[in-house]
Amino acid sequence: MPPGALHGITVLELGEYVSAPYCAKLFADYGADVVKAEPPRGDPSRTWGPFPGDVPHPERSGTYFFLNTDKRGITLDLSTPRGGELARALAAKVDVVIENHKPGTLASWGLDHASLAALNPGLVLISITPFGQTGPYSDWLGTDLNAFHLSGASSRYCGRPGEAPLEHGTFAADFYGAVTAATWGLAAVYGRVRVGGGQHLDVSCAEAIAATFVGGQNIGGCAQDGRFERRTGVGMPLGAPATILPCKDGHVWMLALEPGQWNGLARVMGNPEWMTVDIFQDMYQRAQNADAIYPLLVEWTMEHGKREIMDRCQAEGVPVTAVFTIAEAAEHPHLAARGYLTEIDHPALGRVRDLGAPFKLPASPGGPTRPAPLLGQHNAEVYGERLGLDGAALDALRRDGVI
Amino acid sequence: MNTSDSKLPLSGIRVANFGWVWAGPVVGQTLGFLGADVLKIESRARIDLTRMLPPFGEGIRDPDRSLSNHACWAGNGSVSLNLKHPEGRALARELIARCDVVIENFGPGVMDGLGLGWDALRAVKPDLVMFSMPAAGLTGPLKDIRTYGLSLTSTTGLDSLVGYGDGTPIPVENAFSDPYNGIMGAFAILAALHHRDRTGMGQHVDYSQQEAVMQMVGPAFMDYALNGRSAGALGNRHPRAAAAPHGVFPCAGEDRWIAIAVTNDDAWQALVAAMERPAWATAPELAALPGRLAALDDLHARLAAWTADQDDYELARRLQAAGVAATPVLNVADLLRDPHWRARGTFIEVVHPLGFKETIYGAYVKTSRSAITVRPGPRIGQDNERVFKRLLGMDDARYQTLVAAQTIY
Repeated sequence: MPPGALHGITVLELGEYVSAPYCAKLFADYGADVVKAEPPRGDPSRTWGPFPGDVPHPERSGTYFFLNTDKRGITLDLSTPRGGELARALAAKVDVVIENHKPGTLASWGLDHASLAALNPGLVLISITPFGQTGPYSDWLGTDLNAFHLSGASSRYCGRPGEAPLEHGTFAADFYGAVTAATWGLAAVYGRVRVGGGQHLDVSCAEAIAATFVGGQNIGGCAQDGRFERRTGVGMPLGAPATILPCKDGHVWMLALEPGQWNGLARVMGNPEWMTVDIFQDMYQRAQNADAIYPLLVEWTMEHGKREIMDRCQAEGVPVTAVFTIAEAAEHPHLAARGYLTEIDHPALGRVRDLGAPFKLPASPGGPTRPAPLLGQHNAEVYGERLGLDGAALDALRRDGVI
Repeated sequence: MNTSDSKLPLSGIRVANFGWVWAGPVVGQTLGFLGADVLKIESRARIDLTRMLPPFGEGIRDPDRSLSNHACWAGNGSVSLNLKHPEGRALARELIARCDVVIENFGPGVMDGLGLGWDALRAVKPDLVMFSMPAAGLTGPLKDIRTYGLSLTSTTGLDSLVGYGDGTPIPVENAFSDPYNGIMGAFAILAALHHRDRTGMGQHVDYSQQEAVMQMVGPAFMDYALNGRSAGALGNRHPRAAAAPHGVFPCAGEDRWIAIAVTNDDAWQALVAAMERPAWATAPELAALPGRLAALDDLHARLAAWTADQDDYELARRLQAAGVAATPVLNVADLLRDPHWRARGTFIEVVHPLGFKETIYGAYVKTSRSAITVRPGPRIGQDNERVFKRLLGMDDARYQTLVAAQTIY
């Protein structure tokens, strides 16, 4: 197999949990040489699971596995003077450092951008945090949950009116920040010659969502007209049908906005009389009568299964899809046919099914192909190769609790 | 165009962006923020539907005045080219021969139908990076699936995780996947450009929006892979049950809420102290995470009763000072007022080429060396003269003929 697209790029990850690890995983899965440095007790996501049979074990966390494929792992206590020194020596030789500690933490370890840039002028330092390195909330404690809800996304777009705004049920802000950081970070590496050297990237997970998702479609109008909208609990309040509806065995995303789609849906439903009424031929008028229309549609959907509804609607050009459970998505023949799902051998987990590369580069295929590292698995290899440390030196570091 | 600015990493990279609606334009926007010369190829013959999305600048309904269109397309230039005309398609190929990247987000086969498929384009530009981002990829049984960005998530399992936990999935009311894929798509292109610069080879990127978004369910997928369990909606609870309490709680005022995440036992003690140690909270079984998880619903209900008549911002500041991760839940108007987003310049006012002021988002990543310039969204065809006359060397007579024939249109 040809090397991955990012072959030749070296990365040091000083990350934990989700955001920095997923950012670094994107580099690793596409061929960069990524070394992940974990504290001697390990990335805390090792305690998160899911574990096989729900038995906690630091080498058997599914979340850790997913987020750290194709990386080499070393242990390093950055809070010790010797640890900071080793990290500086490693950072001096890489293209990218990715981290997601609270602002100021890196500086307390002697690893702030100025110190690292002095050693390595071409270094791209990517810092990912919930709120960013500057601004009044930069020193606030925050998690994925806090970041998402500070972005405006939930209040506007997710939940029933009068009930709590919702997040996605996964680490949506962390993933969003990770992807944003990977893109801007890779650009900074790619364009180093044009830019005149490396630089520090300050990525806020909340800001990335607030700007590009919420801001994109809401801020111009709000600034100009002083009006704004809130969540409605319906997929799209302006047009109908456009929401999730229950069916016999789950739910479907019911969408039939354009006239051709509405007519297609009518054919699938056996051309019921009510669908031919004049005022129902326009998606805006249908939305105004959504209270009447949705129950009539549900009467029909409840008699059918989600796959059947999806297949018959799609065949008529109607963009209705089934709301897949995780299992249904994972088992769908489409993803199998595309080779999206993969299997990887891991010393402690055995053969593990994993999601494949998020996009396909035919000339330089991506991973994941190698499992997440065991804690400190590559200490000898990496410290030897990068810093010339031998077995005795590593034993001493181990004794002192540095690695 | 940012050719005068040497501090931008992608200056010198030229992109033809056939993307439309939201995801495709944001791929171009991302590269444009980073310095590439991005030209959206569009036409008055088939106006992008987001150009007709209200509200409009100064309330005047016009395809060059849609405010959300401008925000989502800032960074793209615009060339207007009617691809229904054979000459329009020929000009598109001529332009692509001078580009590094082509972006498109049509269904599979549409570009082929226009004579702009991969084989045709690599013939005019052998080291081209072509980026295609259909809903479910270029191959496979679902490749022709019809979706909208807001429902694409349903086929990834992600929608099944969104809801209050009562068995009803709650639809996210807008296409989270569009800007997400727009930004990740730019990563894919950069990876392919890195490969090109190293090997001299271009390639056709097969970007399935479904597969890219499905990465977000990775932790839940692993539970299925390892234990055969398929997760359901969790409300705002921690996706891996590693924090409690963890949720959104009502505050004083209309639709005001606070998000609180207690990630360790010390933070719990800090919260208990901030609540002035009510009897229920000092129960010893709540001192450690497993006990709090076992009592989670009750815990959340009691916490909600405590937050209910307090000011969201004030309470967040107080809890932060005590060592608890707490933030107000912001609505759209708050984004413009909030001191943090104001301090970071998250939203900026620009003057559109038509003369009106509009607020769009600025550089949402802060870069210490690259000086990002954010331009307003494009007028249809604003870059025509530069592209056709200066870049392609077309003389004025031919240019005027093509404009009159509505080929450049």
